[in-house]
Amino acid sequence: MAHKQTISRKLFVVLNSLLLTLITMLGIIPFIHLLAISLSSNTAAMAGEVKLWPVGFTLDSYVYLGEKVEFFRSFRVSIERVLLGTAVNMLLVFITAYPLSKSNDQFKFRTPYVWFFAITLFFGGGLIPTYIVVKETGLINSIWALILPGALSVWNMVLMLNFFRSIPRELEEAATIDGAGHLRVLWQIYLPVSLPSIATIGLFTIVGHWNSWFDGILYLNSPEKYPLQTYLSTLIMSINAQLSSMSLEQLKVMENLSEKSLKTAQIFMGALPIMLVYPFLQKYFVKGMTVGSVKE
Amino acid sequence: MRTLKKEYLLHLMLLPGVIVTLIYAYGPMAGLIMSFQQFEPLSGFIESEFVGLDNFSYVFNLPDFNQVLWNTVIISIFKMVLFLLVPLILALLLNEVTRRWFSRFIQSAIFLPFFLSWTVLGGVIIELFSLNGPVNSLITALGMEPIMFMLDNEWFRGIIIGSDVWKGMGYNMVVMLAAITGINATLYEAAEVDGAGKWKQMIHITLPGMAPILILLSVLSLGGILNAGFEQILIMYNPTVYEGADIIDTFVYRLGMFSQQFGPAAAVGLFKSVISLALVSLTYYAAYKYNNYRIF
Amino acid sequence: MKKYRTMKWVLASTLLLSIVTACSNQGSNKDQPSTTQPPSGNAGTEAAAPDPFGKYHETVTVNQVIGYNPPEDSRIPKGMTPDKNAYLKDLKETMNIDVKFKWMVPSNQYEQKFSLAMASGDLPDLLELDPKNFEKLKQQDMLADLSEAFEQYASPALKKYMESDGGFSMKTFNSDGKQLGIPVFEDPFLSTQLLWIRKDWLNNLNLQAPRTIDELEKVAEAFVNNDPDKNGENDTYGVALQKTLFFWGFDVRGFFNGFGAYPSVGDAQSAWIKDSDGKLIPGLIQPEVKTALGKLQSWYEKGIINKEFALKDENKVVEDITSGKVGISYGEWWYPNWPLNLNVDKDPKAEWIAVQIPGFDGPGKSLVPKIRAGKVYAVKKGFKHPDAIIKMMNYYIEIGNKKYMDQKKPEDGYVYNWYNPRVYNPAQIETIYTEVNRALDGNQTEITLEDENYVKVTEVFKATKDFLTGNTETYSKGVNWGHYYSRAAKEGGWGMTRNIKESQAFVNNEFFGLPTSTQVEKGGQLDKLMQESFTKIIMGGDLAEFDKFVASWKTLGGDEITKEVNGWYSKQPK
Repeated sequence: MAHKQTISRKLFVVLNSLLLTLITMLGIIPFIHLLAISLSSNTAAMAGEVKLWPVGFTLDSYVYLGEKVEFFRSFRVSIERVLLGTAVNMLLVFITAYPLSKSNDQFKFRTPYVWFFAITLFFGGGLIPTYIVVKETGLINSIWALILPGALSVWNMVLMLNFFRSIPRELEEAATIDGAGHLRVLWQIYLPVSLPSIATIGLFTIVGHWNSWFDGILYLNSPEKYPLQTYLSTLIMSINAQLSSMSLEQLKVMENLSEKSLKTAQIFMGALPIMLVYPFLQKYFVKGMTVGSVKE
Repeated sequence: MRTLKKEYLLHLMLLPGVIVTLIYAYGPMAGLIMSFQQFEPLSGFIESEFVGLDNFSYVFNLPDFNQVLWNTVIISIFKMVLFLLVPLILALLLNEVTRRWFSRFIQSAIFLPFFLSWTVLGGVIIELFSLNGPVNSLITALGMEPIMFMLDNEWFRGIIIGSDVWKGMGYNMVVMLAAITGINATLYEAAEVDGAGKWKQMIHITLPGMAPILILLSVLSLGGILNAGFEQILIMYNPTVYEGADIIDTFVYRLGMFSQQFGPAAAVGLFKSVISLALVSLTYYAAYKYNNYRIF
Repeated sequence: MKKYRTMKWVLASTLLLSIVTACSNQGSNKDQPSTTQPPSGNAGTEAAAPDPFGKYHETVTVNQVIGYNPPEDSRIPKGMTPDKNAYLKDLKETMNIDVKFKWMVPSNQYEQKFSLAMASGDLPDLLELDPKNFEKLKQQDMLADLSEAFEQYASPALKKYMESDGGFSMKTFNSDGKQLGIPVFEDPFLSTQLLWIRKDWLNNLNLQAPRTIDELEKVAEAFVNNDPDKNGENDTYGVALQKTLFFWGFDVRGFFNGFGAYPSVGDAQSAWIKDSDGKLIPGLIQPEVKTALGKLQSWYEKGIINKEFALKDENKVVEDITSGKVGISYGEWWYPNWPLNLNVDKDPKAEWIAVQIPGFDGPGKSLVPKIRAGKVYAVKKGFKHPDAIIKMMNYYIEIGNKKYMDQKKPEDGYVYNWYNPRVYNPAQIETIYTEVNRALDGNQTEITLEDENYVKVTEVFKATKDFLTGNTETYSKGVNWGHYYSRAAKEGGWGMTRNIKESQAFVNNEFFGLPTSTQVEKGGQLDKLMQESFTKIIMGGDLAEFDKFVASWKTLGGDEITKEVNGWYSKQPK
């Protein structure tokens, strides 16, 4: 895409870069702050003296972190969850969005199906009923409890079906003339041209699985099975606001709240892997769409 | 026009999604019955006493309910609009960045805050806007009086809205970028040939090309009109800004202070669901009627 | 049961052997606790009664659940979880009790998870309950009667603890002669409010410790304006305060008490004091509260309390204390233990003292609750061996004895605060205070106490010795000082508190029942109303707003609650 470099264009490019750089900084600063705390001495961290640069620089937190069995154990669980969960979610999104992306004359029952799914975007049963269903289906304390209840993300499915619709009909028609069935159209035509949307929805799915922590608390009965974010949530301890007195035992807990640097190091390291996923997926955003090259 | 035969295959493809949704989304909806009960966990759904619409009238007649409802709506409308506008502008600006590494870097940075929880970010934001924080340092350096941002009802709302948009804007931006990449590249080539400038290309090609996704995102975001961001506000608010920032969810949360009130909480949930379903259905058919576009 | 009784002699005689084999150098398990047993006269019948530490013939499985915090003690082996706790292995070996965990969650999620367990009807055998859940389960008739098991199996120490308040707490959980729960309670005076103040700052400014509100105001103003830390910067303020005005710490309960105002014990509801007619009145709406609010407003104006206190949670206040930005805080006896120790470690010059809360003309009277019981242990109805639960309680108390000190070490995987049920000495802190001081006065090198308090007393004694000799090998100076100054020092946290207790300088919060129905329904709103009105007044609002607050509070449910509370009160034995 070549274009003439007029003066106004140049000015725009410079301003645009400046603005975007500024926004970039805003996004990065909290991470620098966390990194600085994790690299500071604990006393400085506890005193709230650390801003963007470590105070009393030390690698202690990371040395301790290296020995934290809990951290690595739950890290592994998280990886497992992301791989398994993303595979299941993407498959379901893909095969559900395809029929629903058809027009009403191609697929008569499209509308009732769509509303059947869409209703669940707005109505939910709440915590206790969901828990009971998960329990009754025997998933408690298994990694499937984190995957199956949300196996079909209706939101992602709706996004996907909209992306599917932007695929030119001609592609599909050409294939059907060659005698291809639904499955072939889906795998051989839809899949390759949908890479940017798959990357987008894949990103959301991965991030969703990586970041969710509450279902781990609800459905898993032993900390050995916790994914990383569930484990990390146990570090950020808040004291019940209704507590009117601190018992001798709670006091013990408070004494332990003091390891701020170490906790911050774990929060930082917990976010790091997922931060690297995005740049990796980005390459699909540009090269996916080869629609233009299709014969018309 | 030729259509694909074998509709049964389409039904078959939907089957897994239907089963999962039926069990894990529709199953728990039996729990909506709680909103008509004086629900006690120990008694369960069957033995808990039915109280008709008592829970609804209880909640709607609470003295601050109107104020809280208003706060919720106003905060979420601002969030909704900005969640569309800001990512749209970012996506368009990023589309003009020609150096790919720069574009990728900025996208990643904008996405970053999405990976941190409000528990972590809330403290950072409060510090940022405190009397001794960097924002006020800047203000005093410019010779103005420092502002107690977090203790002022108007400012606080602004900060709640702004910081949530900042944290979440990466998400919609990614969807929009994917939509942009989906636009047929030949259209731009044709426009170049016709001598259309960048601005004209944006108005006549990019925006119309994104229209389906934009409509989809706006309609679906309407469904969240009564969700103004529970976790964020709970972490960041304080008694002086209850007046302007207490939303339905924080309000219900405090109702359960002495003993969890399942019935009223479920009633509020049902109320929210009905409102969002109504709004989304309305806009769904409006989009269909005036634009001949089905969002799902 | 019958079969078991015929077995008891066999069991009693094999017990000694089994314990010896289980823990090689443990010695006799039976006569050790009985040496400290009060001469209650029933020792003869006790000998024939069921053994509090007896081993079961067939394994008794106890299902538990636990809310716990990750082990932060660096000596504990890596990757420990509650189900691997070495105490459980010992339980199995010594008494043949097998503990299984239905689930383990971080403690801040316990309540959530427990209510799910209740909703799905999936309760464990051993229940750790708050009074609310206890009441619910009681009403649903889901709790086992522990009367007989307690009577027969409770160890002398456990019985002694439960009788230490005249059976008052036990009675609270007794229903129609059925003992449905064993409460864990503590000395209510642990809640006494003190004023903690930086002595080194007082010295720097040549000031005396304040005894009255006016003196305190002068000191606090000096802390704001006269650079008490002598660092040449205007970076300090007077009194620490976080956003929830009545809380478990860094709040203004003590401040209000100094005015003879008793708004709350920090549980988001009003405190209830006796008026001249013997009726209970809500402390929150009395005129003294208005006076105190007026003073607080002027302190805010003067910068004595932080301009942005309404933004600070407890962590932020702790940061201020740690970094030496604030030198005064109202609070309980435990502050030296946390967070003052952090400040002491950060600033070697820092020195904190406790004084009685300042009042109008001389020290004021603190509000003290009637009972201080956070939780109660109960057993699910239908569980076959309630006696096993009692034995587990016995066991936890028993391991406080000297002979276990070197056996049950954290490095071997013994994590005592993961063990359930933990019933401990209600007078633990007083025992520590007296015993450590006795040892100090007698220049002893170790604790000679021969009962189940040994381990706890020794911990504090060691920290005290280390602090006094400047030994920081085991813990930092702050931690040592914190143990010493909170529990053992004569002028420290508990030392000061027991003086107050003796001099009767306190007022009781008379209400200790469960939240009444109106409290449950309206309590959240009333609390919001209070927080909002009070915070605004303090930050410069119109003091007359207080009268409006009182009127709204009454009509929004306060009057109703007052009736209910008095109804409850009239049913209490006087």
